[in-house]
Amino acid sequence: MSSKMFFYVLKRILLAVLTIWIVITVTFFVMHAVPGGPFVGEKAISKEAQAALEAKYGLDKPLLEQYVTYLRDIVTRFDFGPSLKQRGRMVIDIIADGMKTSAKLGLIAAGLAAVIGIVLGATAAIRRNTFLDKVIMVITTAFVSMPSFIMGSFLLIVFSVSLKWLPANGAAQGGLVLPVITLSLYPMSYITRLTRSSMLDVLGQDYIRTAKAKGVSRWSIIFGHALKNSLIPVITYFGPMLAFIVTGSMVVEQIFAVPGIGRQFVQSITNRDYTMIMGTTIFLASLIVIMNLVSDLLYKVVDPRIEFD
Amino acid sequence: MKKLLALVLAVLMVLSCVVLASAEESKTSINVCIASEPDTLDPALNSAVDGATMIAHLFTGLSNWAMDENGALGIVPACATELPAAVVNEDGTATYTYTLVDGLKWSDGKDLTAKDFEFAWKRAASSALGADYGYMFEVVKGYPDELAVEATDDKTLVVTLNNDVSYWNELLAFPTFLPVREDIVASEAWATAPETYVCNGPYTMTGWDHNSVITLTKNPNYFLADTIKMDEIKFYLSDDANNMLANFQNGDWKLIDDVPNAEIDNLKVQYPDEFFVGSQMGTYYVSWNMNANLLPEGSELTGAEAAKANAEIRFAIGLLFDRNYIVTEIGKAGQQPASSFVALGLTDADGIKQFYENAGPSDEYVGYWDTSADAYEANWTTAMETLKKYYTFDEATQQFTNFPAVEYLYNTSEGHKAIGEYLQSVVSGVGINMSLTNQEWNTFLNTRKNGDYTVARNGWLADYNDPISFLDMWVSGSGNNDSQFGKGENADVAIYSIDLTPYGSDVKVENGTWAQTYDAAIAAIKTCTDKDARYGMMHAAEDLLMSTGAITPLYYYTDIYMLEKDVKGFFANPLGYKYFMYCTIGE
Repeated sequence: MSSKMFFYVLKRILLAVLTIWIVITVTFFVMHAVPGGPFVGEKAISKEAQAALEAKYGLDKPLLEQYVTYLRDIVTRFDFGPSLKQRGRMVIDIIADGMKTSAKLGLIAAGLAAVIGIVLGATAAIRRNTFLDKVIMVITTAFVSMPSFIMGSFLLIVFSVSLKWLPANGAAQGGLVLPVITLSLYPMSYITRLTRSSMLDVLGQDYIRTAKAKGVSRWSIIFGHALKNSLIPVITYFGPMLAFIVTGSMVVEQIFAVPGIGRQFVQSITNRDYTMIMGTTIFLASLIVIMNLVSDLLYKVVDPRIEFD
Repeated sequence: MKKLLALVLAVLMVLSCVVLASAEESKTSINVCIASEPDTLDPALNSAVDGATMIAHLFTGLSNWAMDENGALGIVPACATELPAAVVNEDGTATYTYTLVDGLKWSDGKDLTAKDFEFAWKRAASSALGADYGYMFEVVKGYPDELAVEATDDKTLVVTLNNDVSYWNELLAFPTFLPVREDIVASEAWATAPETYVCNGPYTMTGWDHNSVITLTKNPNYFLADTIKMDEIKFYLSDDANNMLANFQNGDWKLIDDVPNAEIDNLKVQYPDEFFVGSQMGTYYVSWNMNANLLPEGSELTGAEAAKANAEIRFAIGLLFDRNYIVTEIGKAGQQPASSFVALGLTDADGIKQFYENAGPSDEYVGYWDTSADAYEANWTTAMETLKKYYTFDEATQQFTNFPAVEYLYNTSEGHKAIGEYLQSVVSGVGINMSLTNQEWNTFLNTRKNGDYTVARNGWLADYNDPISFLDMWVSGSGNNDSQFGKGENADVAIYSIDLTPYGSDVKVENGTWAQTYDAAIAAIKTCTDKDARYGMMHAAEDLLMSTGAITPLYYYTDIYMLEKDVKGFFANPLGYKYFMYCTIGE
């Protein structure tokens, strides 16, 4: 690694830490400013019980002190505390549990989206303006514009209720097939379109013409020169996309009863489960920051001309 | 020859697979879905119906819900050999002595003793634990932190109540009263994983895939293990009604506890034998803030007169709503129009007749107004006459011109919104400008509790079959007193009257404050041991409550669920807990 790159990475890591600290601070104070609390329910508990619970979780202390304690526990012990609502469970365990499923689901979906998307996009670019190109474009346009709750419900009704080929809940054997498909269709279509336009751009470049003139074979041009260079926009998109898809899609998890992290995140807010809100927010923010960093570094691998500054 | 041998071997292999598979199937198992991941499965901490259903399969208390041969549901002794009557002491307190059944064991094989009950009750009631339902022990002497319960030996449990309570035996079956063992619950995480979950009921927890599925397997250490029919129950965890329905329709889940509202009409037709409307002891209502003034600007009424006028106005507006329309066109789930606050399903003193059937001032109809479709016009006329006393009415447009604008608050949900829109359309028809505001659940609870509203959507579900569970929430100091009775300005309003002398109580107040009347009545009810007198007083308390007009019941809740028709032996109790242990499939 060159020293330039080292400093670049170091700078980005420091920036990432700063970003996450800002996320923590804003979330912490906004969360406490919202009315309601973790121990408010349809049926009220006694004032003594309320006070006992607040003391137990340190919520009776001044907000600033709570904030400092929270930060200290994370930095020194990587301790995100217990969930206030799911009594007896630690936030980190709940996130790990949810991530097992979400990560599996997300990685398969992202992988599927990337492979199929790049192949379809490249095919469409090479066979530009043919019937095949048009078919690919029409289908991907449809998928890009169709919200996942419609796609998910449609797949559920056809394959699960009518044909009974696949289960309707994510916990069952084969239960992740439909959610993976639902989750991958949008990024797949997007990647297809991205690859196609970027590839067309590259195919029009001078160096491709030079290669052709030198008599380099068609396939060698496509794989050796065009494809690699046309992947830069795809990589830009892929990093954040992977973060979003891996951290769970609330909608898809809901439709297929998948025990992922997305639902936990939303529910923790409704429940005012402060520690869970903080835990999931920090986790998601970190993941997005890291993925962005990784995709920026990948540029260099794909295109050595790119300079870090 | 070789080919033939290979063929024979292949056939044998297939056959053995089939035989093994069918041997596997002899174990009965049922997949159900009642809700998403429970907040807790610690019996003391649980406050949800879905958690209570699972806990009812994992733990057994001194008494239990059971169905007899005739299909009648009732409370029977379980860990106790019998449920004896109380011995009333000189000071009016009541002592119950229970003997435990022989051979009670925890699921890990250790003996269960009366000490475990003592420990569990003291823990559940303590303010340190802060359980939502800790207050269920308030009938016990010494609540919350000096609970008068003692294990005099391994098999005997003695508990003293402030006074005899008619629904005590039912409380014994309630999750908060179930036994837990001290060494087990020492770690707060005990109730979150099957390895540490030690229980004493018909099943043990053998799997908990968080947010996905909880598996219960028959407990061989259970003292009534031979009566349990179902070997394994899988509670799938989902709260998406569409997903539940898909799983029911493809045959994976045998019971689902929710269906999409939009599908109800279809499902009733499509699955006449599998769509059920169960009862639930609850009321959907509108609560008014006692401290919000509805009188027109410039009204000369003040003090007691203004308070009386507000009560009349609230009651009149309540009469404008067509409850039949709400249940048939909006609710669609077999709900019943309500005319009282104490819900359908709670019985009166005789234990047979419904409490609400005896409620209200009239012999001609049930409750505080007539909910029959024919009576709607008359109700409307009465209401309009009342309102005309206080507001300017323009005959030409048939509208009130000086009713102050009000805001209806509800928590974000399509169903609540639809009802809000209906209420809005009704009152706007007579010139009352009612805007709709929705708030996210937790914020909404907070706003309502603090009394920062004029009129809000509300609902209440009882925890045991006794009308007091609907009435004691309205005392001045109650945390559930959303209408702010006896709070703020209302604390000094002295317009309430109650006479409990016909029931042997000395509470008789004319034009008193809420604290002098309602709070006193509830206190008298809680210490009354004569059943008929007690129920009489509860009717009197409800009369007073309804006279304020601050509670506008719309309908009694129901519990809709779908159950596959080849499942036999299923039942649900009046609290909505569902029982699968006696279920069989097919045959």
